Amino acid sequence: MSIVCASQVRKVFKDTEAVASVDFEVREGECFGLLGPNGAGKSTLIRMIYGAVLRTGGDLRVFGIDPGEDSRGVKRRLGIVLQENALDEEMGVRANMLMFARCVGVPRAERGERVDELLDLMALSHRANAQIRELSGGMKRRLAFVRALLGRPDLLILDEPTTGLDPAVRLLLWEKVVQLKKEGITVLLTTHYMDEAERLCDRLMIIDQGRSQAEGSPRKLIRNHRPGVVVTFAGQSTPSEEDLLATGGQVSRDMLGTHLRLPSFQDAEQIVERIGSEHVIVRPTNLEDVFLEITGKELTADA
Amino acid sequence: MRETLRLSWRVALRHWDVYRLNFWTNISPMVSDPAFLLICLGIGLGAYVTDVGGMSYLEYLGPGLAIMAAFWASVFETSYGFFVRNTFENVYDAMMTTPVGADEIVYGEFIWVALQGAGLATGVAVVMALFGVVDPTGLIAIPFVGAATALATGAIGMICSGLIRSITQFHPFFAVVVNPLFFFSAVFFPMDSVHWTLQAVAWINPFYHGVRLGQAALWGEGLGLAFLVHLPALLVSIFLLGWLARHLIRKKLIL
Repeated sequence: MSIVCASQVRKVFKDTEAVASVDFEVREGECFGLLGPNGAGKSTLIRMIYGAVLRTGGDLRVFGIDPGEDSRGVKRRLGIVLQENALDEEMGVRANMLMFARCVGVPRAERGERVDELLDLMALSHRANAQIRELSGGMKRRLAFVRALLGRPDLLILDEPTTGLDPAVRLLLWEKVVQLKKEGITVLLTTHYMDEAERLCDRLMIIDQGRSQAEGSPRKLIRNHRPGVVVTFAGQSTPSEEDLLATGGQVSRDMLGTHLRLPSFQDAEQIVERIGSEHVIVRPTNLEDVFLEITGKELTADA
Repeated sequence: MRETLRLSWRVALRHWDVYRLNFWTNISPMVSDPAFLLICLGIGLGAYVTDVGGMSYLEYLGPGLAIMAAFWASVFETSYGFFVRNTFENVYDAMMTTPVGADEIVYGEFIWVALQGAGLATGVAVVMALFGVVDPTGLIAIPFVGAATALATGAIGMICSGLIRSITQFHPFFAVVVNPLFFFSAVFFPMDSVHWTLQAVAWINPFYHGVRLGQAALWGEGLGLAFLVHLPALLVSIFLLGWLARHLIRKKLIL
């Protein structure tokens, strides 16, 4: 069953087209990733899903409901972690969560217990009485997770959940996402981190300039768009142009050096041995290669 | 409908939760302002202004000051208060991720200013009744008049919050809109003795109608006029201004 179903979704703000035409489907129980450069329209899409932005065109269903018409019906089943955390800074940690528990309709008798249980899950119990502004960035994000989980959501939406966080917090949040997925919660996440997307997402979609560009599992996207192995030569180790072209691989250059993409590790080994250079890096292609190919390397004015 | 009310009430409870945290900070100016005005104008200026429509200036001033407490509380809450919560504190962004929607945020705000207006107007009026400044039998009407006044003037603050883009734009709003509403309201002098242009300002001023209702109740006179003219005028302004406020805030919260 599809939890979110978007077809030709479009949004125009006054004179800018934030989302031109996006199609995707989030299936029950999966983790679906939305990838795209800054300004690609990811956050606008997220806001459309919970009815804080009304679409200009196309069709969008969340749990079969049009969020433009019945956002409350949709939001009853959603948990959302926004990029900017959006915590109520006038209240302390626990009071804050109790207030939100009231807003999502947790029965009065269960509120305290539910809040404490989630604070514990996110390793925040020791800061239950702190003020929001006293929390570190990682704690604020964890608290935003607590809020998102208060209403026992069926779909958890995470808008850049680990941006700006240290590796330990990222790992903690990843573990929680995996755990929640095991419990049957569907996850929709946006991210700029390709390792995050590869690790967490069953399927993902790359959007750029408000349009869907590619969709599939991370493996499938790599296989279809950038299969093989990349050999990177830096500085003096770079072979001559003829040598590179003679390999039959695909050559590209950037600040970091010259990259040669080849079909397999054996091919790469042969080249490296023939050139006899030590200063090379050989690695399999990854989602980042796909992302850069699809979205282009140059920054557009909107980013 | 029932769910909308329930959620709006929860939004109002959030405001009460926060208000309670700094209760004395929040309530002290609302109580001290009328007290100082009563002393300075009622007693100080009142020594020179000895007769206003058959009563002492202190007695004239009393009811208006009670309603004034509702006025200022609602105007501040829905202008600076709302704008800061929306723009700097992300309070509504966060609420919008829960089943609470833009309508509930607006109605919650209205419920909160109405309750605050009722409480403050009544509190001030009760104190004045204890000192014999106003007629205690009229006190029963004051929570309603305070709430209704706060709804109308709160809607004006919310309309402004919906229109402006930067917090500094409240300065002209207070200078050009709030000040005339405050001064041409019959709190400090009866409007029927001034030039007709100023009377016209008063007639379109919902605060004026609120003050007149408060005066009718706490002086125990002019009740017919209050019921037939000022009450309907205040209710109509609540409806019209409230509708506009809801429209503008929705546009701000749902893009």
